[in-house]
Amino acid sequence: MKKFLRRFNWISFLSTVALVVIGALVLASAGDARGSDTVFASLWKKMVATAGLGFVLYFTFAILDYRKVLDYLAYPSYAGAIFFLLLVLAVGSVQFGGRRWLWFFQPSEISKLCVICCLAQLFGPAEERFRGQFGFKGFLAAAAIIAVPSVLILLEPDLGTTLTLVPAVGAMMLVAGVWRKGLVVMLSAGTVVAAAILLAVSIAEDEDANAESREKAMSCVKAILKDHQVKRVKTFVTPGEDELGAGYNLHQAMMTIGSGGVNGRGYMKGEAVRRRLLPPMGVMNDFIFCVWAEEMGYRWSLALLGLFAALCGSVAWTAVVAGDGRGVMMAAGMATLLFAHVFINIGMSLGLVPITGLPLPFLSLGRTFLVTIMCGLGIVQSISIHREEKTE
Amino acid sequence: MKSDTMTVRAATFTFLASVFAIGFATLAARLKVEQVDRVAEHRGRLESQSSRIVQTAGLRGRILARDGTVLAGNRRSLVIAIRPESFRTTLKDVPAILEAVARLRPLVGRDPSITERSVERHLKYEIACPMPVWTDLADEELARFEEHYDEYPEFDCVSEAERVYPLGAFAAHLIGRVGREFATAVNGNRTVNYAEKELVGREGLERQYDLYLRGKPGEEHVIVDATGRVKERLDAADGVAAVNGPDLRLTLDVGLQRAAEAALSGWCGAFAAIDPRDGSVRALASAPSYNLNDCVPVLREETYAALTNAPGNPLLFRAVAGQYAPGSTFKPITALAGLGAGWRPDEKYTCEGVYRMGQGFRLRCTSWSHGSIDVVEALKFSCNPFFCNLGMQSGTGAVVRAARAFGLGSRTGIDYPVDAAGIVPDGEWKKRTQGESWYPGNLAQMSVGQGFLLVTPLQMARVAAAIGSGRLAMPRINSGVPPETVALPFPKAHLDLVRKGMEEVVYGSGGTGSRAGTGVAAHVIGKTGTAQVGSRELGNRRLVVWFIAYATPVETSKYREPLALAMTFTHRRTPGGGYETLRGEHDGGGTLVAPLVAEILRKVYGEVPK
Repeated sequence: MKKFLRRFNWISFLSTVALVVIGALVLASAGDARGSDTVFASLWKKMVATAGLGFVLYFTFAILDYRKVLDYLAYPSYAGAIFFLLLVLAVGSVQFGGRRWLWFFQPSEISKLCVICCLAQLFGPAEERFRGQFGFKGFLAAAAIIAVPSVLILLEPDLGTTLTLVPAVGAMMLVAGVWRKGLVVMLSAGTVVAAAILLAVSIAEDEDANAESREKAMSCVKAILKDHQVKRVKTFVTPGEDELGAGYNLHQAMMTIGSGGVNGRGYMKGEAVRRRLLPPMGVMNDFIFCVWAEEMGYRWSLALLGLFAALCGSVAWTAVVAGDGRGVMMAAGMATLLFAHVFINIGMSLGLVPITGLPLPFLSLGRTFLVTIMCGLGIVQSISIHREEKTE
Repeated sequence: MKSDTMTVRAATFTFLASVFAIGFATLAARLKVEQVDRVAEHRGRLESQSSRIVQTAGLRGRILARDGTVLAGNRRSLVIAIRPESFRTTLKDVPAILEAVARLRPLVGRDPSITERSVERHLKYEIACPMPVWTDLADEELARFEEHYDEYPEFDCVSEAERVYPLGAFAAHLIGRVGREFATAVNGNRTVNYAEKELVGREGLERQYDLYLRGKPGEEHVIVDATGRVKERLDAADGVAAVNGPDLRLTLDVGLQRAAEAALSGWCGAFAAIDPRDGSVRALASAPSYNLNDCVPVLREETYAALTNAPGNPLLFRAVAGQYAPGSTFKPITALAGLGAGWRPDEKYTCEGVYRMGQGFRLRCTSWSHGSIDVVEALKFSCNPFFCNLGMQSGTGAVVRAARAFGLGSRTGIDYPVDAAGIVPDGEWKKRTQGESWYPGNLAQMSVGQGFLLVTPLQMARVAAAIGSGRLAMPRINSGVPPETVALPFPKAHLDLVRKGMEEVVYGSGGTGSRAGTGVAAHVIGKTGTAQVGSRELGNRRLVVWFIAYATPVETSKYREPLALAMTFTHRRTPGGGYETLRGEHDGGGTLVAPLVAEILRKVYGEVPK
């Protein structure tokens, strides 16, 4: 028990608790803003109940030895994730423009953790002694593991989930020493492609450019992205335009955040939130940060960022103290996954990242994702608790 | 080995931590820009995005007769209205509203006055205003609703002003009608986001004085959410209160108008009377007519169709829009033209019962032969050959100038939306419209008030007024319009001669209009008119009968002011409810119109024993 308490990652746990509390508070306020008699007003209670379940799972995974958990669950859970992803494509229910729901949960959210576990189980055991042994073949294996669920998720369509998986998996492969040179090349290539898309869209949107080059640029973009995605990229490149169309949500989100000011409007008193500038499911999911930012102001928004930073940092630190390669990879993957979610979600609300549907951990309405994240953090806690005793 | 592992792990951590650090730093930096540097900008945009101005209408001014009788007023109509902001389901608003209305329907007990389309329209353009669902609530309907008020939080009871016309069909054409529509922003350049539907004048005086009657719109400031629903109505202090429209006081005399309308019943025709001194319109009546209260709160399509198809075209305001040949009532003008052109007051012309000219132009006289007569006698007997000859002697120019001096051929300038100009033809006009030259026969016809000549009853009342007073007055119906008169370009001696002739018409032995003075407690001079229009060949030959008069009060008169009037009939009502043209042997201004003019004048000035 002493060992348990000493090795328990208190920073990770306490920031998790703090974020769960903040999540309940901010959802209560966002729901109240839609009207106290509406269905939205009581959603926070469901989230609190879900967080309760999450904590049970958190401690269960924290107490269990992560090695055994991975041995028993990593591959079956991956297979299960693929099965559910197929099932959701076949019989899932459509909500908010995507076929993502199976009964009460979203398989794509769970699959994030399953992919991370699977990769950790595959590469982790060999990390210490055979570093570098995973060359191109290893890369292909990893690519296959991420590709199958990614393609299934993209078919839903859900770009955001894929976007967060890529950096998480990338970080894990870097740690595992999988085909480093290739990874660097691919990372660079990815950056170049992203830059090229942005450039092409900005050329296509540039009224001064000649029509031919604009058209060419547009056809290149259309070959890669879907219409609604093109719109989102456009909004990102030229945020001022089209404030009532695709840019509406971004414009309203930034106005909501900005009008909070340094001190904020006060909890449950957000003017912009209460004027319902953003659609209800938007403000409770993708743009939940706006509610906190407007009502609590700049200082508390920084505090929220600090909490996320503490959580990501402490999870990443677990990679340093982990007992084996699997632990290192799990922790690195979870830390990167969390970071990607936080950065893309908040960056999106601030106009730093093109708009894509993606929950903010703990704050966004999304019970599957909350449970998934808490299971993952439980496993990371287990890595911290069950690490090998260091030789004194 | 171990240390190597630790190095790798440290490098991993360093890498991840620095990526995270850069990421969070970027977010924090951007957050500072938006939340610290641009607060004022964001808050300003938020305010301008969510505040709206709703234009509110003031109570429409009343229309009053000269003596203060209310011709158009307002009444309170209680309305059950729905508040759009109580529905929050955005996409499903229309069905939700219809459902709520359907829920309340059994309680109210009658169908609401909304449709799916009108709800959509309201949400699109007027979401900040309450939407009327049931209008004109009866007391018991209101009581039923109020009893269950708490169960229907989406509904409110509001009161709306509706137009009401206490005298019904009285002066219907003159008053006109209103419609309820989205008001145009009349308060200058201010941006108004929403406007309550308000009463807008569509016809008649309601249209002419629409902006005057409407008063000044007010402004209500509201805060709305992103879907445009009202979130908060700001204090009245933030807005501007609507100013009620002032009353419009007319020059109309209720007694005269009522007498005229009574006299007109049974005819297609019109009556116009003005005060000759300043042009104040004392009566403007047209028959057949309709009841104004059939047209409020809205003129229904069926009502409009029925009025359009009704026999006698009740929608036509004949007093100002009807254009007819003046017939012999034009002869005083011909007389003045002739006198101006050199015809001596005592110069005689021998009437042989018909006027002949050139090849086959013949114009019969009203009698076998008047013999040798002067201008006064010619007016008294309404001798056609005399005036044909007089016109021919004076020339087209002189007759046309005289007609125009009396304001014929142009709008009277009355403050009313309809003001037909009529036609005073000349060579240039005929060339332009008929493509033919001006023949002497045209002049002969015009000299006796026929041919192409067209006038309105109001114009003829003005002619009578000008002959009597010597000044041509611009008719005005709003007592607030300053009077405007100009002197006639005729010597007083000539006018006196014409007045003498017109006095003879009424009081002279054998005068054509002797019935117009019967029993009237006033001095009346006048002129009869029986214009033949259409042609025998086309089979549409018919008569337009006239009487114009100038009445001055005598000692025993009840009414102490002079009056100039014109009355005309074109059709007579048949027992079947239709109308037939006037074509009988004995149909004429003297026989049909003059007795009715006397009847009207007796009602106004009082009777004297015969």
